[in-house]
Order: sequence, then C-alpha cells, then structure tokens
Amino acid sequence: MKLFASCYRFFAPRRGWLLLVLPGLGLLSGWQLVNLQMEENISALLPDGHSQVARDFQLLQQAPFARKLVINLRAEKTVSTAQLLAATDRLRDALPPDLFVDALSGPGEQAGARLLNQLGSYLPLLLDTDDLAKLEKKLTPQAVDHQLQIALTQLMQPQGVALKQKIRRDPLNLELLALQKLRYLNPVPDVRLEQGHFLSRDRRNSLILADTPIAITDSQGSKQLLEAFAQARQQLPRGITAELVSGHVYTLANATIIQQDISRLLIASGIGILLLFVVFLRSWRALFVYLLPLFSFAVALLVVAGSYTRVSGITVGFGAVLLGITIDFGLHVYFTLRKEAASRELILQAVSRPVIFGALTSLVAFAVLLGSELPGQRQLALFAMAGILAAVLMALFFLPHFIGHCELNSQNIRRGFKRHIYDRMPLLRKAVLFVWLLVVVLAVTQVPRLSINGNLRQLSYQSESLHQNEMDLSQAWGNMRGRALIFVQGENLQSALQRNEQVWRVLKAEKLPGLVSLAPLFPAQKTQQQRLEKWQKFWSQRQESVKSLLTTRGQHYGFTTGAFDPFWKQVTNPPETFGLAELKQLGLGDLLDNLLLVEKEGYQLISLLPDRPELMADLQRKLAEIPGVVLVSQARFGQQLGAEIEADFKRFILLAAGAVFLLVILLFRRPASVLLAILPVVTGLLVMFGGMAWLGLDLNLFNVVASILIIGLGVDYGIFMVCHTQQQEDMDSSRAILVSGLTTLVGFGALVLARHPALHSIGLTVLLGISAAVPTAVLVIPALVPKRL
Amino acid sequence: MGSVMKKIGLIGYLLLIVLGCFPLRAKAVSQTDSLADVFVRLQSAAAKTRSIASDFVQEKQLAIFSETLKSKGRFFYRQPDQLRWELLTPVASGFVLNGQQGQRWNSLSRETRSFAIATDPMMGIVARQLLAWARVDMTWLQKRYRIELLDTQPIRLKLLPRDQGEAGFIEQLQILFAADRSHVVEVEMFEKGGDKTRLRFTNVRINQPLTEETFKAPEF
Repeated sequence: MKLFASCYRFFAPRRGWLLLVLPGLGLLSGWQLVNLQMEENISALLPDGHSQVARDFQLLQQAPFARKLVINLRAEKTVSTAQLLAATDRLRDALPPDLFVDALSGPGEQAGARLLNQLGSYLPLLLDTDDLAKLEKKLTPQAVDHQLQIALTQLMQPQGVALKQKIRRDPLNLELLALQKLRYLNPVPDVRLEQGHFLSRDRRNSLILADTPIAITDSQGSKQLLEAFAQARQQLPRGITAELVSGHVYTLANATIIQQDISRLLIASGIGILLLFVVFLRSWRALFVYLLPLFSFAVALLVVAGSYTRVSGITVGFGAVLLGITIDFGLHVYFTLRKEAASRELILQAVSRPVIFGALTSLVAFAVLLGSELPGQRQLALFAMAGILAAVLMALFFLPHFIGHCELNSQNIRRGFKRHIYDRMPLLRKAVLFVWLLVVVLAVTQVPRLSINGNLRQLSYQSESLHQNEMDLSQAWGNMRGRALIFVQGENLQSALQRNEQVWRVLKAEKLPGLVSLAPLFPAQKTQQQRLEKWQKFWSQRQESVKSLLTTRGQHYGFTTGAFDPFWKQVTNPPETFGLAELKQLGLGDLLDNLLLVEKEGYQLISLLPDRPELMADLQRKLAEIPGVVLVSQARFGQQLGAEIEADFKRFILLAAGAVFLLVILLFRRPASVLLAILPVVTGLLVMFGGMAWLGLDLNLFNVVASILIIGLGVDYGIFMVCHTQQQEDMDSSRAILVSGLTTLVGFGALVLARHPALHSIGLTVLLGISAAVPTAVLVIPALVPKRL
Repeated sequence: MGSVMKKIGLIGYLLLIVLGCFPLRAKAVSQTDSLADVFVRLQSAAAKTRSIASDFVQEKQLAIFSETLKSKGRFFYRQPDQLRWELLTPVASGFVLNGQQGQRWNSLSRETRSFAIATDPMMGIVARQLLAWARVDMTWLQKRYRIELLDTQPIRLKLLPRDQGEAGFIEQLQILFAADRSHVVEVEMFEKGGDKTRLRFTNVRINQPLTEETFKAPEF
C-alpha cells in the first residue's frame, strides 16, 4: 500500500501531466465509440454454447412461422368474403417486395388443382403397408361396383366433363389414398382454402405470409418494415383491418420502450445524483469523483472493443449503468482525504487497503460471469472488470491530486470528538439490531418460495395490442406458433428423409392430432423403390381378377372394354422415383420451404406436433435411438432455460460468494471480522430473494447480474466498515457508504420506474438488495462492533 | 392441363345447361342486329326473370361408353341464389344450392352429402357458372368466350373458349334458340377428341312460383 503514497509524492508536483492523460483517454474512447460496430439485438442475451438450451434456441428460430411475416386480415360482419379476399390481394400487392419477399395470400386456384390432378400419378411410390391394406379393400366386387356407380353418376352430372379423364385414370378412386397425405403438410391448423386464398374457419380472417431479409433482432430494419406495412395498410377499405405478427414487431416495441425508459431514467437519476451532491458533497472538487465512472467507462469500452469484433449494445448500455458503482471507490477516497487531517500519504495508505480489497471482490464476483453460456454476460463481465480496474487505479493514483485538502472546520472537529450515537443511545443500538434481525428472519422465511422463470418472452415488453394480435391470430387460425418441433438432420437429403420416416413411424403410432410432416408425401428414394416393388408384387397377384371384375361390372353400366385403359397403363407402368424438383413442380415449393432446410452441414427436416409435457418425455425416450433427431418443445425450452438459469445462478453465486469469502478471509483473517464484513452482502441477498418471493416475482436472467452486483457492492460496504472500525484513521466510511449506496440506488434503483420488464426487474432487485446492504453496513456493523479509538 | 381443363369442362357444360333454361323473350333480331344488340336484349329479358323451371333430355356420345348415354332431368332457378339440377333417369342424382350451402345426392349409392361452395372448389365453379348464366352476365361470359352469331333464323351462337387451357379441352359450344327466341331449345358441346353432348330443353316455365321443397334434396 506504500506504492500509492510513493506515487502520490511523485505526481504531486506534476499533476498537470495527469490532467492531460484523462482527456486523452476520453478522446480515444470517444473515437472508439464512433467506430464501434454495435449489435443492436438481443442475441447476446441468448445462449451460444453447446448446451441443450443453446441448441434448442437455435433450432426454434428455424420453426416454420418463426421465420415468416404473418399478416392477419380481419373483416367485420358487414364485409363479404369476396371483399375480404379482394382486399387481401390488394394489400399483398401493395407491400414492397424488397421487404416482404414472396408475399403469399394462398396457394392460388391453379396450383391446388394441379396438385390434385397430378399427385395421383405418384401413387405407387406413396403407399405404405397400411395403405396397401386399404387398397385391397377397394378391390372387392362390392367396392368396385359402388365406385362404378359413382363414376357413372358423376359423368352424367355437370361436373362429369371435368371428371372424365380422372375417372378413366382412376375408376376406383385409389388416388384418394395419395391425396389424404396432403393433410400432413398443413402448418396452419384451422386454415381452409377458398378461391386460392387462405381463409379462417369463420371466414372472417384471411392471411398473407411473406419472407423478409430483415433479421428479427434488427430494430432499425424492423422500424422500416413496420412503416412500410403501415403505409400499405392505409388503402384497406372500411371494415377490414390488418395486423402484422412477427418477431420484428416485438423488437421495435422493445427498442422504443427502452429508449423512452432511458430518457425518463436519465432525468430521474440526474435529479437524484444532483440532490446527493447538494446534500452530501457540496464542493466543486467532488465533481472529479463523479467523473470517475465516465473514465472507467472509457477504459472498459476500449478493452471490450479490442477484444471483440462486435460489441452488444446491451453490454455497452447496461455496462455504462453498471460502472456507476465505480463511483464508490472515488467516494471513499474523497471522504477520507477530506475528513482526515493527517499526512495525505498516510491517509492514502490507509484507505487504499479497503478500496483495493473492495475492488478485488467486485472483480472476482464479475469474473465468474466469464464462464457464462450467454455471450452478453461474458462481454459484460469483461466490461465490468476492465472498468472496475480502471476506476480503482484512478481513484488511488489520480483522484487524490484533485480533491483538495481536509476541511478542518469547527463542525468536523466537533463531530470528531463526539461519541458515537450508539454510545449515547444504547437503546437505539438494540432497536437497530432487533429490526435487522426481524427483517432477516422474515426474508429467510420467504426465500424458499422464490421460483426461477426461464420464459424469455416475459423479459420482453409486450403491449396490450401486441398480446391481442397474438390472441386474434391464434383464435382465427389455431395454434400456429406454439407447437413442438422435431428436427431431423442428415448429411444428404436421402439420409435425412430416411430418418424422417423413422420419426414418422413413431409419431404415427401415437395417433396425434395436428401432425405436420413431409414423411408421408416425400419418402426417401430407397423407400420409393421398396414401395414400387411391393406395388408390382401386389398387382401381379391381383391384376387379372380385378381387370376381369372391372370389365364385367363396367360393361353392366355401359362402359367400353377400353374405358379404363389409362388406369391399367398406370398400374403396369408405374412412375420413376421422384425428388424435390418433381414436388416443386406440383406446387409444393412453399410448403417444402417450411419443412425442409438446406444448410451447410446438410439437410434438415421439420415435423410439428402438439406440445404436451407428458408426450414430450415419452417421445424423447422413443426418438433417442434415431440418430440426428432433436425434439424441441417450446414449453420445455422455457423450463430448460429456467433450469439452466438456476444452475448458472447457483454456480455463479456460489463461485462469486466463495471467491469473495476467501478474499475477505485473506484481508481480515479473524473470523469475527470476516463475518462482519460479509454481513451486508448476506443481508442484501436475503432481502433481495425474500423480497422478490414476497412480491410474487420470479428470478430471471437479468437478476443473475443483479445478484453479482449485490455481492460486489455489499461486500465492499462490509470491508469498508470493518476497516473503519479497525483503523485509527477516520475514513468517514459511514458517509461514504451511505452516499455510494444512495448513488447506486438512484442509478440502478431508478430502473424500477422503467416500463420494460427486464429493466424494471433489474431495478427492483438492486433496490431490494442495496436498500438492505447499506443500512446493514452503516447501522448494524457499528452496532455489533464499535470503532476502535 | 388438369385443373384448367376441369374448370373449362364445367364452364362449357354449365353453359349448355343454363343457356337451355334461361328465358329469351327478346324481340325478333334482324339480320343486321349486332351481337351486342342481341346481348343487351337478352340481359334486358333476364332482368325480369325471378325463376326458371324446365325439363331436359341429355345425350352423351362418349368414347368410353358403348352406347349413347341418354338421360332426362329437371332444372330450377330462383333469385337470388337457389338452384336445383336433377337427373331423373337412368340414375336419380343431382344437387341443390341455397346460397353458399348445398346438398348432392345419388340414388344408386343412396347417399346425400352436404357441401359448401367455399370448400368444394368444383361445386363453387358450378354455382358461379350457373348463376352467371341465370342472371345473363354477358360481360363475364364475353371475358371467357369469344361469341359468334352463326345464324339469326333461328338464332344460333357459337362459343369458343378464350383460355388456352380450356380451348385444349373444349372445341366449341353451339346454342340454338327457339324460333320465337323465348328460350334455348338445344345446346351442343364438342370436346377435343370427338366426344359430344347434346341437351334439349322442353317445357320451360318462366316466373312460375316455386316452393321451398324444390330446393331441398330428396331423402333416401
């Protein structure tokens, strides 16, 4: 600690040089900030490691409707379906194609009819063993006779002209077995097709689906997208409304609300800090103390920008607030130097011990976050550590030169000789200890009720209108976005298709409603070959008898012997195997894009199924044997994230607490002092957890950082107070802790006023923790152990 | 080709049916009358039509049948959107339409099935076509067909599909009107490949009161 005294002596006659260093640092940092590539999205808050949660999150982004823009048009009862469909087409055409790529209001009339007519030609390749059993039942004399009666009737009806070729090709209506497989391709549960458009069951809603090059996490792009949508929507006729439902809407709403919050919080914090300045500091030299976080921010920014190519906006924004705590080091140095009249070198030597240990504990606490799964937390840890290190060095090397000398006024002298209030009022000491004990006991009783919530959606802002739009969409179209997903990965298309078929067999056995899969309609080449062989074997045993039956019964109804030649031609000359190109030609391109992803690593197929917890557990077990298969449940993802946060949380808290505890032992060495030093942090954490449980709040992702902050700050308060009680010098620690605690409260606690749930959550936890840690340090520690004089 | 052909086939066939049924009470058309004048008079006459009732005989010469398929039936229309198309022999079958909903039946299979034109594209096309002809929406028909006046004594129209897909399926339609032009007496549809359908309408009654039962499906 003599180093600081020596440095002070060395720089005392050369403080002008120091004055040059600080603006230089500010300029360098400013330049860095201008050139910084900032990521303005939430990806930094999501896991990027190799954990199941990280993997599931990446996969959930691939879900069919997670990538799509969904526009729901709703018509009042006075509007006809024809008007709604016309307005849908007009809106679709008015959307700028560079932002709304491939906007689609339905499959179109032609596409649907082409599919219905041509899919049957692949019948031999689509029929599995169960289908062949069904086919067998269609070949009995009664079934054949029945179908011929229907064919005859149809040919005499108005629609007979259109059905003639189809009846010749498929007199026994076997193609129905192929067409039935189309129902497994529909990702919108309650959709119906009318005049080539998507229409809801109640016929009051239509749908436009589109892709976009704008990333969901891009707030600027989202703004552009929503403005373009609002512009296009203006031309809708009276009685028809349209709402865009996509992640972009949430991104923009969150970005906007955060901007509004920050403006409000800056004003609130600014007023709070000004009040603290007026009440406690009242000296222009104290301004240097307030500049300390600014310079520590500059250093932190330089370090993070040098370590990462892209820096998260959240890291910079949250980190800037976080570094508000570095003012504490300055305050301790300021109050000690302004209070104590002894030699400045000696005072600096005395105050440097608690300041350095305080900084070390904060550094260690934040260092544990370097092991986080979340890139944002890792960046934040580096940012905070760099800032704290810079702040403590500046507090001990720079600040003493600029905060003037001790003010030995009569008030200070009088205060110095005054006995401590607890000595004058012993009852007060008991009252303080009683209240503290009561609060701690109450908090302890509440802590077990605290639960952890991994639902990311609850951390983002969702207005009433956004919620209503989601509800309307779900009510009109069924659960489009909340289903579980199965991802099947394959190095090539064929291996992916084969695995997908294995998955399909498991799903089919479960007889689940609302299944969506490509497997029934797109078997692998190998499967197609096998089916072809079965088809040929099937007909080699039956062709003669069925042909005779069809001819005899056909003649009975007036059909010529050659009437069904096209059917027999198809039976004896089945098609070649088909692939992606053929399915696209049938008009299935859009549906394929939803369920088949081509990636660098190969092909990925997606199946959708109901998201039920008991089903997920069962399927997880059954699918475990199939390689390259991942089951992702949206509901389970929340639980897993919650579990991961809980595990992270415990790990970080234990690591941080353990490391801090070791440092405190190293500093004080006596058990009594160690226990005293950790008293504020323990109280702060207990009140924070207990208070949250009492208020019915869950622990979330952001509270992890808040807890580390409470540990770092709380233990600082303890160290300062215990040092204060042990050292001869009057470091005025109570005042320093009070002012630093209040500063933290106006900086962090002001976040409780925020409308954004994440910011509000941070504010509340810090408010609870600090408001318990500060009184414990300032009032409880002196009550337990008086200052040694 | 399939979907378009289906629709085209339906359109043509419906054209046959309805042309045979809707009233033509226009004044005598002179040789010098243009097609547009004929259309105006037809639309003017149709505007007074509240209901249509008619019998018909259908003859289908299809390659897949060894003999000509002969059938008899009835057709009914009532404003604004009710229809009944019914074959009486050889197989009782047909459909009724009431607005957006309908039922079709087949006495052979003894089945009656409900349908909605919104969810049954084929019946949707049937309904659109039938109603367009019953209301004589010449603007719409001219968009779909090139119409020629073949003869004026009696009037015979030739309809040629404009759509390429439809033209690949149906060659032409010929509509023959009664000498007094009060109604269509014969409709012929010539398909590509040589198949031919002829419809002859008889006993056409205009604005005759029709009961609700007319637009209900029979029970089996």
